[in-house]
Amino acid sequence: MADEITPRRDPIKSSVGNVAAQRRRQHAITVAKERREAVVRTKRLCRVGVGGGGDDQLTYDDDGDGGDMMIDAEQSILEAQTCSAVQDLQLAMLFQGKGAMQKRVAALREVRRLLSRSEFPPIEAAIKAGAIPLLVQCLSFGSPEEQLLEAAWCMTNIAAGKPEETKELLPALPLLIAHLGEKSSLPVAEQCSWAVGNVAGEGEELRNILLSQGALPSLARMMLRNKGSTVRTAAWALSNLIKGPDPKAATELIRVDGVLEAILQHLKKADEELATEVAWVVVYLSALSHVATSMLVKSDLLQILVERLGMSNSLQLLIPVLRSIGNLVAGDAHVASTVLVIGQSITDSILPALIKCLESEHRVMKKVCLLLLQHEFGLVLTRNASMQEAAWVLSNIAAGSVEHKKLVYSSEAVPLLLRLLVTAPFDIRKEVAYVVGNLCVAPSEGSGRPKLIADHLVFLVSKGCLPGFIDLVRSADIEAAKLGLQFIELVLRGMPNGSGPKLVEKADGIDAMERFQFHENEELRCMATKLVDKYFGVDYGVDDE
Amino acid sequence: MATEVEVSREDQLKFPYWSPIRRRFDPESSFFAAGNVERELLAKQVALDLTEEEKLQFRNMEDEESSKLYCPLVGCGAHLRSLDEFEDHYTSRHSAACSVCSRVYPTSRLLSIHVSEVHDSFFQAKVARGFAMYECLVEGCGLKLKSYKGRQQHLVDKHKFPTSFEFFKKAHPSKKQRKKDQHKQAFGTKEAASRAMQMEEDTMDNLVSAVSKLSTSDSPSSISFGRRHNRGLTFVPRAVRQAKEPESSARRS
Repeated sequence: MADEITPRRDPIKSSVGNVAAQRRRQHAITVAKERREAVVRTKRLCRVGVGGGGDDQLTYDDDGDGGDMMIDAEQSILEAQTCSAVQDLQLAMLFQGKGAMQKRVAALREVRRLLSRSEFPPIEAAIKAGAIPLLVQCLSFGSPEEQLLEAAWCMTNIAAGKPEETKELLPALPLLIAHLGEKSSLPVAEQCSWAVGNVAGEGEELRNILLSQGALPSLARMMLRNKGSTVRTAAWALSNLIKGPDPKAATELIRVDGVLEAILQHLKKADEELATEVAWVVVYLSALSHVATSMLVKSDLLQILVERLGMSNSLQLLIPVLRSIGNLVAGDAHVASTVLVIGQSITDSILPALIKCLESEHRVMKKVCLLLLQHEFGLVLTRNASMQEAAWVLSNIAAGSVEHKKLVYSSEAVPLLLRLLVTAPFDIRKEVAYVVGNLCVAPSEGSGRPKLIADHLVFLVSKGCLPGFIDLVRSADIEAAKLGLQFIELVLRGMPNGSGPKLVEKADGIDAMERFQFHENEELRCMATKLVDKYFGVDYGVDDE
Repeated sequence: MATEVEVSREDQLKFPYWSPIRRRFDPESSFFAAGNVERELLAKQVALDLTEEEKLQFRNMEDEESSKLYCPLVGCGAHLRSLDEFEDHYTSRHSAACSVCSRVYPTSRLLSIHVSEVHDSFFQAKVARGFAMYECLVEGCGLKLKSYKGRQQHLVDKHKFPTSFEFFKKAHPSKKQRKKDQHKQAFGTKEAASRAMQMEEDTMDNLVSAVSKLSTSDSPSSISFGRRHNRGLTFVPRAVRQAKEPESSARRS
């Protein structure tokens, strides 16, 4: 417990023992919070150099176990060390004599180590000690490669910090961008692109500054290089740079000569790690830019994405691939209809691939649930991102023409969807509901009520989908409740021989709808009341008695 | 323009039928949040040495911390940490059931209003005497109306309740079902409903006429339980009796 004052403190520090204990407690709380933030932020700390980092390991395969990780280091000690390291750097910068360069690099390396080994790099301390102007100086043109590398590495990790810390790097940006050029050595360019990626991940404001300073063309050209790690880092940095909300950057990117080909090439042939980063670039291109979307659709991108979808089991890759497909299908009715022509190989393979996504993740989900039970976390199920997105894509396909619906309906998706409608976590159930409902209704022509596809409805209801929808009606989520009520309406209206009302009653539908009597959402109240009045009103059940 | 307003009002009244449409989401939409979290988790799990436990926490993080979910029942507004919590919350806080007729209400206040209006003879007696007894259902409004229909109108006019809203719902058609399931609220045929209402009204009438007979008799002004008990009459407060007098005089043959 943080309250204990450990006896190993030496006498000089005993007077500040309480303060230290309090700081440790605070630290523990901050640690948890910062750790969470560190994960969710779209920035990446650089722990291993991109190339030629002296005595450090060079590969990304470093298992991170890091005998060098100073996880338990007292933050105050770290900060003190950082301060003195920056001071050493300052002295080294002033030194003009023999061995000046070695002195500079050695000092830089020390600062860099402090900024990359600890769990919470002492960024604030470094900035306070005046590191940034010194680092900017170290980035000047013509400096030796090792110096550039170390300086850029330091900046990379400074940029991985808090907003106000990242903003301090403004004077360094033009230099970082300049070193992305094709005349730079590859490791230097790569390290600088990492730094730029972190800055771009900070927010819209910095993103716009980087764009106005010409970061995009240089980063884009780095995707045309041969080295895998370079392309990967550049792609990741680009995804941070173009993520908008302004679509201009995305449009500019797709127009850079050679980018489209590079994207297709990498998606088709590269290893999963690299393909993942490139796929994220495609996510933002397809989400933000119409120009990009139409160019992408004209290429074989969709075919390539579908192949990856079918072949890969890596969750990391599946998410951006699914989302890209989803964005393309959802983007434009014209796009969707030209792209998903029935009978073409794409549509033949996209379904099995999507089904596989829904299926395999289901197994993974089951495994995770078991893990949870073992650890006594209770029955809280995790949201599984890729299942939700797979169902979303499917729902958009099922929203298409009657032929598209028939395709989904007759595939192996249906039994799986019906199971998921009952067993999956809420977000997935909601998406699955969209698929099932979309299968039962033909696209509306004109202003009339959309027509029911009766045999689909009858089949799905006979397979027991109604309870799942009624469950959604009971939820506190307005969208889900509305979906549930809309499907109940289909059943009440569309089941042959007026069998709808009895079915709904049997599944406790009336009970569920009665909740809306005192619901604050007027639309839902009206919907429920209308249904009850129309189908369970005055004449209901008269024949029975 | 008048026609435009009318059209939109009509649309409002129409049921929003299921229409299959493609749904698009912005890249920063909350729909993609889980996928984004997953991306960062997977990219950093080695570098940050994340445990399975932590990963799970991060995945569920959004659900609980930023949960802007509130109970949607009128007047409740309870903060719900997750959707799963809603069912429990509903059964524990919103299932006030009437012990007489098993109808269920979402708050104890509405339940007690129901009990007064439907199972309390004195309520009806007061109504008959022209007191404004029908409370507005919206908590905090405080208005009382003289008739069920009047209260209904007030709800529609002032509080924008739908015109088809009925606080007192008719009896459930499938009587077998009703006997089985005590939590079901009532719906049903006009006959069954009017029979039920009629029964209660008859009781009222009997009571009212009995009371009037009481006040016209030459018995002392106070009623003692002992003497009248065998008639099966319940005690009627003096104020009620006195208010009844003008009518009772008309009933005198």
